[in-house]
Amino acid sequence: MSGIADSTLEPSDIDLKEIVDQVWESYLDPDGTAPLVLTGTVPEKFDATGSISITGPWHGHVVVATSLGAATGAAAAFLAMEPDEVSEEDVADALGELVNIIGGNVKSMLPPGCLLALPHVVVATGAVSRWPGATRICELCGQWRGEPVCISLWHEKREG
Amino acid sequence: MRALIVDDSRTMRRIVRRIVEGCGFEAVEAGDGQAALDAIGAMDRPPDLALVDWNMPVMDGLEFVSRARAQPALRAMTIVMVTTESEQSQIVRALAAGAHEYVIKPFTADSMIDKLALLGLVPNGASL
Amino acid sequence: MTAAVIPAAEFAYLAELLRRESSIVLGADKEYLVQARLLPLARKVGAGNVGELLTQVRLRSDRATIQSIVDAMTTNETSWFRDNEPFAALHSTVLPALLAARSAQRHLRVWSAACSSGQETYSLAITLQEFLPTGWTYEILATDISGDMVARAQTGQYSQIEVNRGLPARMLVHYFTRSGAHWEVAPALRRHVQFQRLNLVAPPPPTAPFDVVFLRNVLIYFDIATKKTVLRHVARLMRPDAWLFLGAAESTIGVDDSFRRTPAGRTFAYQLNLAKPPEKG
Repeated sequence: MSGIADSTLEPSDIDLKEIVDQVWESYLDPDGTAPLVLTGTVPEKFDATGSISITGPWHGHVVVATSLGAATGAAAAFLAMEPDEVSEEDVADALGELVNIIGGNVKSMLPPGCLLALPHVVVATGAVSRWPGATRICELCGQWRGEPVCISLWHEKREG
Repeated sequence: MRALIVDDSRTMRRIVRRIVEGCGFEAVEAGDGQAALDAIGAMDRPPDLALVDWNMPVMDGLEFVSRARAQPALRAMTIVMVTTESEQSQIVRALAAGAHEYVIKPFTADSMIDKLALLGLVPNGASL
Repeated sequence: MTAAVIPAAEFAYLAELLRRESSIVLGADKEYLVQARLLPLARKVGAGNVGELLTQVRLRSDRATIQSIVDAMTTNETSWFRDNEPFAALHSTVLPALLAARSAQRHLRVWSAACSSGQETYSLAITLQEFLPTGWTYEILATDISGDMVARAQTGQYSQIEVNRGLPARMLVHYFTRSGAHWEVAPALRRHVQFQRLNLVAPPPPTAPFDVVFLRNVLIYFDIATKKTVLRHVARLMRPDAWLFLGAAESTIGVDDSFRRTPAGRTFAYQLNLAKPPEKG
């Protein structure tokens, strides 16, 4: 079994890593030459964040936070273009799709009946997505092509 | 052969387009289910293949599949869901609604081609 | 990088290369497959596109890159129902014949002789599970030279990317269950399969003979003497009317004349040339 704790049924770092690895293998590093190298170091600020909410029996958010370089690199890899050909709109769309794919796979490990919202992207230096009252339950932070990338999963306790 | 790509992400539409064009399809894009139905309505003949995301604004992919299946003119159109929805129950729902195949995101070009081969839409990769 | 059209001369060069190196015939309609398989390699060696990659290799005859191209074009062992035709033939030709021939035993033994990470083995299990009438049983022996592969196949766990490869969605929801970030083969299939490490070149351990043997894309890696040894071992473990499936680029012809090629569905299988009639029971 993968590292799902019986009591909470919440994904672990190991589960999140497995999902992220598959996204990298499919789109961002198909040749296996540019993996996401986990360092555990959280940079002070990011230039872009993509987030997606999961609602229902379990409520929370998946967040991908990156430098502009990493977000542009991701868009270029997705679109099979050179980084200097990528528009700002491409970057936002690609980051949204990235968090959408990770979010959907995270949702499949949560209690049945959860819904995936549409992604939300903010491109602005220092921008951080925060949800008061939400707790971070897993986080993968590292470097991709020398640029910072952090992927985290947040759980929000909701009454009723 | 014509393929309709229905996804609200233009990044994903571009990825899918690259693959199906490589397989010899002419590709048409739509950003949601309603736009896809409108696009089909404006066509001289329906697409041979629709590759459909699930979560989209305006009209989601599951609704699109149900609506398309209700149209006799679209009976011959093969529908493949291409989505990050990956619970077993969701796949069952999509197949029951009338999707022929299901590709879970993330997917590689090879896996998309495999599914098209299963559906007889590209020659089997077998003997090369 | 874009998927630029492959110039005809380069495509012809690749077709000739594959024919020479692996006896595989590359159809003119397979450009999409060439693009999908060789674009990552083109990137890796710094070629602008697949056409450029092929030009480079044609001019330099660089052995390592030629081998990488052949591998990229022929390696596909992670697909379910790989190549499809052998499984279709099993369904349309082989199993009906065996159903008639084994009506007394109502039991089939199948050998997945180079099981790799298990996709072939479980694809066989699904085919048998769906074909065999009530009252019939089957067992599959899955072997591989790699202990790691045997252990991996035995877990019956596959990633999202792996289950996307050629496994019909209907079968995914029927024979697998979601387990964390991956999918797990259902016990209903797993209980019919036994895994074991086995080197096909060494004399096989004693075991009851098989009705169907899948030995695909193994012989291509061996020289002629080793091919002969492997086929001799396999022949000894086949029932007189058993069916052997090889890879699309492989044949017993010119290697071991105790086999004959038999049409099966839209492909070919191999059966033993027997001096004596099939044994009873």
